[in-house]
Amino acid sequence: MPIAALGFPQPIRRRVDVAPRDFGSRDRAIAAFEAGRHIDAVHETFRYLLPRSSVPDLTQAEYCFVQGSARIRARILADRLDVSAVLAVLAPDRGATAASRYLLTRVSATGQLHQPRLRDGVITLEYSDALSRSHPQKLAEVLQRLPTEADSNDGWMVERFGVGMLDREPVPELDDGEFARAESIWSKHWDAVSELLSESRRRRSTAFLDSLGSYAVTHMQYALPLFGALRADLNEHADEFNNREERADRRDRALAKCIKEMREVPGPSLRRCLGHSTYAINPLHEGTASLLSSVFGTGGGMQTTGELRASGRSLESALNLVVDYLYLLAYFSWPREIEAMLRGGLDLASDKPFREVADLLWNHANRLLRAFGNHGEQDGDTEDGRGEHRDRHDSPPPMPGLEPELTA
Amino acid sequence: MSAQLEDIEQLGVYQVYTGTGTGSGFLIDPRHLLTNCHVVEPFREVAIELRDRARVIGRVRRLHPHRDLAIVELAEPLTGEVLALSDAVALKPKQPVHILGFPVGLPLSLTEGVISHPRQLLDEQFFLQTDAAINPGNSGGPILDDARRIIAVTTCKLNHADSVGFGIPVTDVRRFVEDFRAQDVAFGVQCPACEQLIEDAARYCPSCGLDLDRNHDLADYFEAPELPPLVAFVELALARADVNPVLARHGSQNWSFHSGSAPIKVWACCSEHLNFSSPMAQTGGRDLNELFQYLLAAEHAPFGFDLCGNTIRMNLVVHVSDVFAPAEHDALADRAKEFIRRADRIDDLLIDTYGCRPAADSRIELLGTTVLQPA
Repeated sequence: MPIAALGFPQPIRRRVDVAPRDFGSRDRAIAAFEAGRHIDAVHETFRYLLPRSSVPDLTQAEYCFVQGSARIRARILADRLDVSAVLAVLAPDRGATAASRYLLTRVSATGQLHQPRLRDGVITLEYSDALSRSHPQKLAEVLQRLPTEADSNDGWMVERFGVGMLDREPVPELDDGEFARAESIWSKHWDAVSELLSESRRRRSTAFLDSLGSYAVTHMQYALPLFGALRADLNEHADEFNNREERADRRDRALAKCIKEMREVPGPSLRRCLGHSTYAINPLHEGTASLLSSVFGTGGGMQTTGELRASGRSLESALNLVVDYLYLLAYFSWPREIEAMLRGGLDLASDKPFREVADLLWNHANRLLRAFGNHGEQDGDTEDGRGEHRDRHDSPPPMPGLEPELTA
Repeated sequence: MSAQLEDIEQLGVYQVYTGTGTGSGFLIDPRHLLTNCHVVEPFREVAIELRDRARVIGRVRRLHPHRDLAIVELAEPLTGEVLALSDAVALKPKQPVHILGFPVGLPLSLTEGVISHPRQLLDEQFFLQTDAAINPGNSGGPILDDARRIIAVTTCKLNHADSVGFGIPVTDVRRFVEDFRAQDVAFGVQCPACEQLIEDAARYCPSCGLDLDRNHDLADYFEAPELPPLVAFVELALARADVNPVLARHGSQNWSFHSGSAPIKVWACCSEHLNFSSPMAQTGGRDLNELFQYLLAAEHAPFGFDLCGNTIRMNLVVHVSDVFAPAEHDALADRAKEFIRRADRIDDLLIDTYGCRPAADSRIELLGTTVLQPA
């Protein structure tokens, strides 16, 4: 029997409660740097990115902050700033060869300021440069990308290559009740995705496959506090089945393979990859009124959804709207009232027939837009490009303040 | 294909590289190359790449911005066959044409079609219109007839139309070349109105009185182009490393050259990063763990290595904020110089010590490995 509804229980992932960034602090950092006060510029940049942390004088003491499972260490020695995070300890066996190849292929790259460095068998992600060459914009890039990369790779490398762990932050496990709920969300989600994939094959629609691929990732990203190997595996699969440049039949096969693997994940493995990580730097992008407008406004996405709804294709229109809500909740932090309203949309849609979901979320999205959208005016906080991201949502938006890049 | 165009490699048609892009050009004699004005401007020196990928400097001698023609004097004579300019005047629709050039930067290529209109009037000038494929990089290349004579010079195409390309008729080309040969002037620009040669920057054409500043900006052709800060920095760094920046230019914010046997590429990948990268070798089949550990070793900082497939690349990343700090230029240029020097040393080491194979673009087989010196 074809799938009739989707469920959206309350997420296990906890709300990321971070102070909004103080852009004045960033401007002060740039002014200090340009006045030649490089040490002040470094400290002000840390204050900009870690507004609630008390950063010591880095010339006197090392500062360590936690980003998921990674510990990031920063210090100023003589006239140099060093930022680093340990990734793994390589063991002298075949696993080390595969791990090293992975590091050289996927972690080292042109166009990034941090690189993996090997010392006495320990792999560390490092940035090191003179203070006079650590402009706040450059440092902000390092402080956002290096921790994200470290958090994404450390646990995964242990699981995949059997490398040793060193200097990693333990992530608190879920309690039994939370895990039971997480396990239920996990299995029901992949059952639903499997049934929707059958529907996708019946319809032979690439647009439907696009939405389904987005749903497969964003729902888990929103609902569960995944980290480590399982998150990396899921993202790796998603890179394949959400690759719009790839042929639809290959994407279809990649999604089927992902579903099969995810359904076969044993309970203990799932449990090992779930936990309430803490983040010194907001891992999410700050949601803005202009982002709401670009998602729920009169652009191409909502127009397509509206046309699908008007022509009675309620499954497609409902799935598109669900993906929009999940995307906004999964990758962006919002003021409480907006987050509550976004969550309210999912509560309305949960376990309802698709025809109802299409109508309910369509009307809800319009109410949300009227209440919190920017109604055409520029809200001034899109300087990081965060308000501009709009398309079907199959991958996280680019890091705040960073342009998409190309590498050779 | 015409039997006379089976071996295009011997023809005197070469790729022109500048700091804004690449184009095509052809020999009018062993020391001079004709191309489009838009291919070489605003530069007075360009690089000409030969079949073996060696490059020679070309000095721009004549520009005709209105008719989009330019003549470049080569630093050394080239041996490619000089194609004859056709004296045929009666070109007809449906007559076959053969276009030689370097479309989208690819090696010398031939495309074919027919004359769609022999004298199409556009913007008060006549063009030969053809349906043969014309792509960016073809500009300045010759359009040939079946007898392998030049009947036009590729100049442009309509972007939003299929198979509508244009060439500058050979009569205009012939006049431009004959004028050049009759003059003994190092550099000059032809007036858009009267076609008289202007030797120095002037507000009004000495011959016809045309206001050369208004709409034509002819004064710009007499001044060295102002390089953007990022470009100026890279070219300063290359000069410090004894690399001729003009020969290294590979289009907008791109440079490529060899340091000994190691290929080096420099490019700005986004608004924030400038990359120096040397795709120097391919992984071999043995000692991979030792090789990978060597590549990851912290001792290489500030340089790093990565793998692109099996190609080993040595990389240096420069943040654009550093480029805008003039006080850092010396230190950064020294870092780039060291990168260029070290790339030539390490590609040898990878082959000798770790059994790697030369990368596709390496010159190691041509030059042999050098005696290794400590870093």
